[in-house]
Amino acid sequence: MAKPTEVRTMSEAGSTYIDAFPAEAKVVRAAFYSSFLALAIGGLFGVVQTLHRTDVYRFMDSADYYTVLTAHGVLLAITFTIFFLVGVFTWAITTSLDRGVEDIRFTWAWYGLMVLGTALVAIPIFAGFTDSIDMSASVLFTFYAPLQAHPLFYLGLVLFVVGTWLAGVDWFRSWLAWKAENPDERIPLPTFMVLTTTLMWYIATLGVAIAILAFLLPWSLGLIDSVNPLLTRTLFWFFGHPVVYFWLMPAYMMWYIMLPKVSGGKLFSDPLARVVFVLFLILSVPTGIHHQYLDPGIAEGFKFIAMTNTMFLLLPSLLTAFTVVASMEHGARQRGGEGYFGWLKALPWRDPVFTGMALAGLMFAAAGFSGMINAGMNINYLVHNTFWVVGHFHLTVGTAVALTFMAVTYWFLPQVTGRALWNRSVALVQVVLWFVGMTFMSNAMHRAGLLGVPRRTAEPQYDGFEFEAAVGSVGELNAQIALGGILLTLSLALFFANVVGTAFNGKSDSLPANGYAETLSGSEDAPLVLDNLKLWTAIAVVLVIFAYTFPILSIVDRGGLFGPDVNPFPVSLDTLPVLGLVLEQYVTTALATAGELTGSIVTEVTP
Amino acid sequence: MNIHTYEKLWLVAAMVLIVGFIATITYGSVGLGITMVGDQQPTIEPSEISDDERFGEPRVEHVGENEYEAYVVAQTFAFSPDPIEVPANSEVTFYVTARDVIHSFSVAGTNINTMVIPGEIAEMTVEFDEPGEYGIVCNEYCGSGHHDMEGMLHVVPEDEFDMTELSVDADDELELGDEAAFNVSVENRMLDDLETTATLEIGDEMLEEELTVAGGDLEETTFTVDTTDLGEGEHDWTVAIDNYEESGTLTVVEELETDDENEDDDGDNGSDGDDDENDDGETDGGEDDE
Repeated sequence: MAKPTEVRTMSEAGSTYIDAFPAEAKVVRAAFYSSFLALAIGGLFGVVQTLHRTDVYRFMDSADYYTVLTAHGVLLAITFTIFFLVGVFTWAITTSLDRGVEDIRFTWAWYGLMVLGTALVAIPIFAGFTDSIDMSASVLFTFYAPLQAHPLFYLGLVLFVVGTWLAGVDWFRSWLAWKAENPDERIPLPTFMVLTTTLMWYIATLGVAIAILAFLLPWSLGLIDSVNPLLTRTLFWFFGHPVVYFWLMPAYMMWYIMLPKVSGGKLFSDPLARVVFVLFLILSVPTGIHHQYLDPGIAEGFKFIAMTNTMFLLLPSLLTAFTVVASMEHGARQRGGEGYFGWLKALPWRDPVFTGMALAGLMFAAAGFSGMINAGMNINYLVHNTFWVVGHFHLTVGTAVALTFMAVTYWFLPQVTGRALWNRSVALVQVVLWFVGMTFMSNAMHRAGLLGVPRRTAEPQYDGFEFEAAVGSVGELNAQIALGGILLTLSLALFFANVVGTAFNGKSDSLPANGYAETLSGSEDAPLVLDNLKLWTAIAVVLVIFAYTFPILSIVDRGGLFGPDVNPFPVSLDTLPVLGLVLEQYVTTALATAGELTGSIVTEVTP
Repeated sequence: MNIHTYEKLWLVAAMVLIVGFIATITYGSVGLGITMVGDQQPTIEPSEISDDERFGEPRVEHVGENEYEAYVVAQTFAFSPDPIEVPANSEVTFYVTARDVIHSFSVAGTNINTMVIPGEIAEMTVEFDEPGEYGIVCNEYCGSGHHDMEGMLHVVPEDEFDMTELSVDADDELELGDEAAFNVSVENRMLDDLETTATLEIGDEMLEEELTVAGGDLEETTFTVDTTDLGEGEHDWTVAIDNYEESGTLTVVEELETDDENEDDDGDNGSDGDDDENDDGETDGGEDDE
């Protein structure tokens, strides 16, 4: 099975992935199915939210909205994306190195650990729906302290992340074994992408690991009394920003190595693809503070450093835009396309794999523009934590990533099941429907954000005032959001119809061969230094130290390692204790002011 | 490395764009003076907010000509004070802190927006040119009642703005023949002097007194009325000053049931009716004031 020669299997006809790597195909398939299950539940919760927020249809208590939102965020942003990623990366490593994993039991072990972690996270979240279980974790995907979840929630996250670490170990093992047998070969591009992304992930997850293991988990278990909310929040964003690149990198990989192939051409440039992934390794982590432009307690200078890094992070995405479009054009010209724009017509628009990815890329360009606004330290004040941001990341993770994943699924499913895709036309309708639905939903979210409509709110309708739209109306925006949500749900239903339909299809002998795109400018053009992973990792670590040491020291110095005297705030649906707490605070305030007033009157009377 | 000419051009254009973004933001910060929420303020123990000089009593203060400071406390699920009232054509520095979890203080449709983190104090200086009414929302999830957390910011026309507080201490019940005393205190929390007229209306009587309250000071005056002129029965009274009014009822009886005169029974209600929380506090304070 492990052939030590680097042969691009795409050039050999007839051999699917499951033929070449039957054992690995099973793991990849399991990872995909886990990912799709999360997508199904998370997606369903998504439409529930659009209908609830816009007040089109409310069937649950608004307090339950936050439980739904927590599940939506965790299942889609973490579970769906990362399970898909480990599937794709395992495929990429085995295919591009043309060797099976070193030990399939180890591969199943990390997969199992990720499943266990997900289950442990899901239990307290879903328990939040019922009062009969004294457990909850409606802390949203960001779990900012002093909001406190059940310890199982934090424990599950740890196990899930450890699972991904072990997956990374698995990929590195494969590469090292391959390298020992091929000392003079360049790292194949897909493997290079996997390794750089994994290194970035190792650095990034240190933040969340420290936040949970040193602070949040012991705190939820009652071992320590308090935490420093700004410190745990900063550690969260240390991880929270690079995690978006962790979702995005498999999509980028697909744009680089699959999109040119399905366009009928070759990747424009292998060296620049490597440059892009190196830039992501270096710049992804020292940017997290750009989520904290509005945080008191972090000096403006530190925010400025994060902003500069963030702006330079535009570079790899702009380069990707060029390479992807150039590769598509090359493909189109191979298919007989002509003219400045006429070549667009020669692209395989009837192929859902192509169309889905192309539309995802188009949406990502729009997302890039709203992202530039977010990154601007001063203009960010207008949009921070508004619905604008939700619009932004439904274009990035919700379309650039999710739509790319769904589109390539139509290519991957036959590869890992050995069965032909159930229905290509349904698949085509599905990807277009996603694009249309997201166009409605996301543009309305962006516009609502400009009016000041907040994100993460069950009922953005207030007693004292109304949001005023300069163009259109709030009602029109709500209608677009609800319509978009429904179209996206329909699209999901079609997607699952295809997944299930394919699983029940008969085995097919006439499937396309496994493989990925060749390159116009190959790895021989790439300077050797690009493959020096140790160097890039060292630079990444230095940049992280540079960007984070002083902010974190300053936060600890100001607020203490375990923070000020803050009470944990368990988020549960049982509102009575919460009300009690609020009441208690009001009474305390009232008494305190009363005391003060008495004091002041007494002093005034005395002279 | 072999890079295509077009790709080189694209690379250069991308770098120009990025450097351009950084330059414009730097200009906004240095040239236009757009400052960020930073670490200007010291930390604060959330458990000690009630005793804090600034946040113990959330309020707006007049600190200079057209300059105000607003001390705001966010907690589940309310802002205090609410509404926040400031004049147009002013510069207001907001200091915001949280009592429990992370909130935000976000004035809808504007760039007045900050995270409010327990233990930290956010500082923002804002110029208000025009009068207007704005909603304040919490845009950071803070618990099951997050969506109910709202407040108002009133920017009132400059000539309608004052920081006057009227309170009246009066008897509820008197014996026929007693003198009814209405102790009026007027607090002027502006820095400028306040020249005004206090009036008392009771029955058919109308008393007036010119008052000058120095900036940041409190002036007291007493209206006295002979209950014989009023006669037996219930008499509604109103003390008014500028836009503020304080009302009550005085009952005059033939003979009081107890011979103790209830001197300290006051009607110390906040007059503006704005700061609900504080008013309650003041009322409690009044009753405790023996």
